[in-house]
Amino acid sequence: MQTFHSIGTTTDWIVMVVYFIAIMLFGSYFGRYTKNTSDFFFGGRRFSWWLITMSIVATGVGSHSFVKYSAKGFEHGISSSMTYLNDWFFIPFFMFGWLPIIVYSKIKSIPEYFEKRFSPSARFLATILLLLYMIGYIGIGFLTLGKAVIPMLPEAFTVLGMTLPITLMGAIIVIAVITGVYITFGGQTAVIFTDLLQGFILLFAGFLLFFFGITYLGGFDMFWNLLPTEWKLPLADFNQPANFNFVGIFWQDAIAGSIGFLFMNQGLIMRFMACKNVNEGRKAAAVNILFVLPISAIVVGNAGWIGKAISVVSPDIISPSVSPDQIFVVVANIIASPGMFGFIMAALTAALMSTVDTLINATAAIFINDVYRPIQQFFKRNVMSDIERDRKELLAARYASIGVTALGVLAVLAFKNFPTVYEAHGYFHSTLTPPLVVGIFLGVFWKRFTPAAVITTFVGGVALMILGARYPGILIAPFDHGIEMNPDHPYSYIRALYNILVCSGAAVVVTLTTQWQRKLITAIREKQNQKMIMNMMVAITVMVFAVVLFNVSVLSVQVLATIAVLILVPLTVTYYVKYDENINTNGLTASSIDVARYLFKGGNPNDQEGEKVFVHLKQVDGDDTVIHFSTKDMAMMKAAVGDLVYISDKRKWMGGLKSIHSVFGAPHDEDGTVYITPDQIKHGLFVEGKILEAEKEM
Amino acid sequence: MNFTHTWLPFIYLYGLGGILFVFGIIITIKSGSFDLSRKAHKKWMWVLLFGFVWYLMMHALMTWAALDIISAYTVPIVLLGMVVVFIIVMLKLRKIREV
Repeated sequence: MQTFHSIGTTTDWIVMVVYFIAIMLFGSYFGRYTKNTSDFFFGGRRFSWWLITMSIVATGVGSHSFVKYSAKGFEHGISSSMTYLNDWFFIPFFMFGWLPIIVYSKIKSIPEYFEKRFSPSARFLATILLLLYMIGYIGIGFLTLGKAVIPMLPEAFTVLGMTLPITLMGAIIVIAVITGVYITFGGQTAVIFTDLLQGFILLFAGFLLFFFGITYLGGFDMFWNLLPTEWKLPLADFNQPANFNFVGIFWQDAIAGSIGFLFMNQGLIMRFMACKNVNEGRKAAAVNILFVLPISAIVVGNAGWIGKAISVVSPDIISPSVSPDQIFVVVANIIASPGMFGFIMAALTAALMSTVDTLINATAAIFINDVYRPIQQFFKRNVMSDIERDRKELLAARYASIGVTALGVLAVLAFKNFPTVYEAHGYFHSTLTPPLVVGIFLGVFWKRFTPAAVITTFVGGVALMILGARYPGILIAPFDHGIEMNPDHPYSYIRALYNILVCSGAAVVVTLTTQWQRKLITAIREKQNQKMIMNMMVAITVMVFAVVLFNVSVLSVQVLATIAVLILVPLTVTYYVKYDENINTNGLTASSIDVARYLFKGGNPNDQEGEKVFVHLKQVDGDDTVIHFSTKDMAMMKAAVGDLVYISDKRKWMGGLKSIHSVFGAPHDEDGTVYITPDQIKHGLFVEGKILEAEKEM
Repeated sequence: MNFTHTWLPFIYLYGLGGILFVFGIIITIKSGSFDLSRKAHKKWMWVLLFGFVWYLMMHALMTWAALDIISAYTVPIVLLGMVVVFIIVMLKLRKIREV
């Protein structure tokens, strides 16, 4: 396979360095809006849908990356776009199930949902699985970044007479240090605004590359006619080849990936939670999936399509044997002029950094919320003021960001031996998402789903997944849809179907046998030696799980051990976990969204549709939890005392940066004026003299 | 071209995907979280159905274009037409709300 080094000129490097300095300064500027952990992680829940949509572009496009889709575009043509065009099927579940629940229940992380909905032990296991997922995702991001930058670097450089080779891991470590800087000192607001800028830039850069490519080839007709028919089709062949087939990618990406991305990608969830309300989150999701993703599919894959066309007409310029992961850089270097190539590379690497920094921020949020705070509570170190605690948590969040960055670099080791980033990512999605995806999905949409079932999904499901990974020819083959098994990387994609089925199967069977478990546990509770029985049960569960985990004995023994896990885990959980279905599902399932809205507001929602009003602010001293409008203005908004209000700077282009949420207080008689305290002015970043726009929420 | 590379993936995608999509709408309506008696949610129903048809048409047009049944230029023209229809309906729905 042909690989490249030292692509690009000095001008390109200058453009890249200037770009990165500008982006870091831009991010640092918005870092000043970070005052507490809420701002650091959620940007103060204040932003408009369009701002979040554009900031998601950089995150989404970066995560799926120019590198891997250009690679598949070069190998297989326009069907590289199919993973961008299959996310709509789960949108009803997201818009009217998961999104309102996470916003109204005020959870700060996905594991927190598991504690509220199920139990602390479910949260503990969800935290482990989610951290593995997020750190793995960061590792994939770093790997892609490294592969993107390596073709531009020389094979070695000389310092003090010593010649040092430039390795993939070396490049990744340097990139990680740069990436960590503004996320550590900026926070979510910095990330959102940096991504907003980069979202525009990378869409522009991607189309610029497409335009240059089409021009280079002599026009669109020439490009289109150069591509073989199979390269023009939008979907891959049903079940071949093993490294890129439709049905495997359907289960890996359209099912596991889409649910994973929408439901358990803490980075994306935090973007939606940064929206000013649920409806704005729905708009952001809809516009992003409907219109931005198809555009992004062209942006990220076109270098591969152009490369393929060039390789057909001029194989001496681009050999068909070029390393697919390098094709983006190679094509960009051929068709763009010096300086412009540097700009495109800067946009590419910046997009990838956007993904990685979002994930680092999100993983730090999980660490603070699901590890740091519970530990603090356990050791009862809460005897401090709110301000002091928040200051300490903010510091811990910044240290956590550094730690997560380091772990992300280590995670690269798990993926760097895959032939392409695409396959590494596919394998990663297929393997790590199913248990959590099933847990979240059934938790939200099935009231009867119990803690015993979710924990069995996490433990028993993982045991079954381990067996599948160890014996793919026996366990995954029945679901392979005719895909040939590659012994080096067996069933990278279609394993998602097996993994989802075994996790769902464990979840459903355990839920449907809840009464049997309760009867058995009731019988055990009546015995005098119940504690001894349960201790033995726990010990046996750990031992049989270890048999599967550490590959002890033959397949039949491991299958028996897995069955034992599937029986013993729900019994153990039923014995130890206190669970009341009515209390634990209240406001936390799709069937109780109204309760969630009631709890969010602290009273009955007021759904009368009022108008927005424009007001001037008047600074008054008083209660920081309410703001006061005139009776007439409140009537226009159809608002009553105690309703929720969102007030923002009238200038739409600010996207809600200067805004606050509050509660309607007692009205006054000064129409067109809002009475607001100095603290609220400071938190909302309001400027006296500027007009504010107010609207009733819910 | 082989059926396994042209229409079988399309049928699988929108057959199975369609079942999941319709199931999602039904389950959210039945649970009460998607409440079609609310005007705002009616608008979302239109968006959801448009989205499904939008992607289905996109893949169908791209497949026809790849097979030279239609011109490649037809794909963006039809899709832009759909966007225009989408915007017009959204504006009409907004007016209904204002009335």
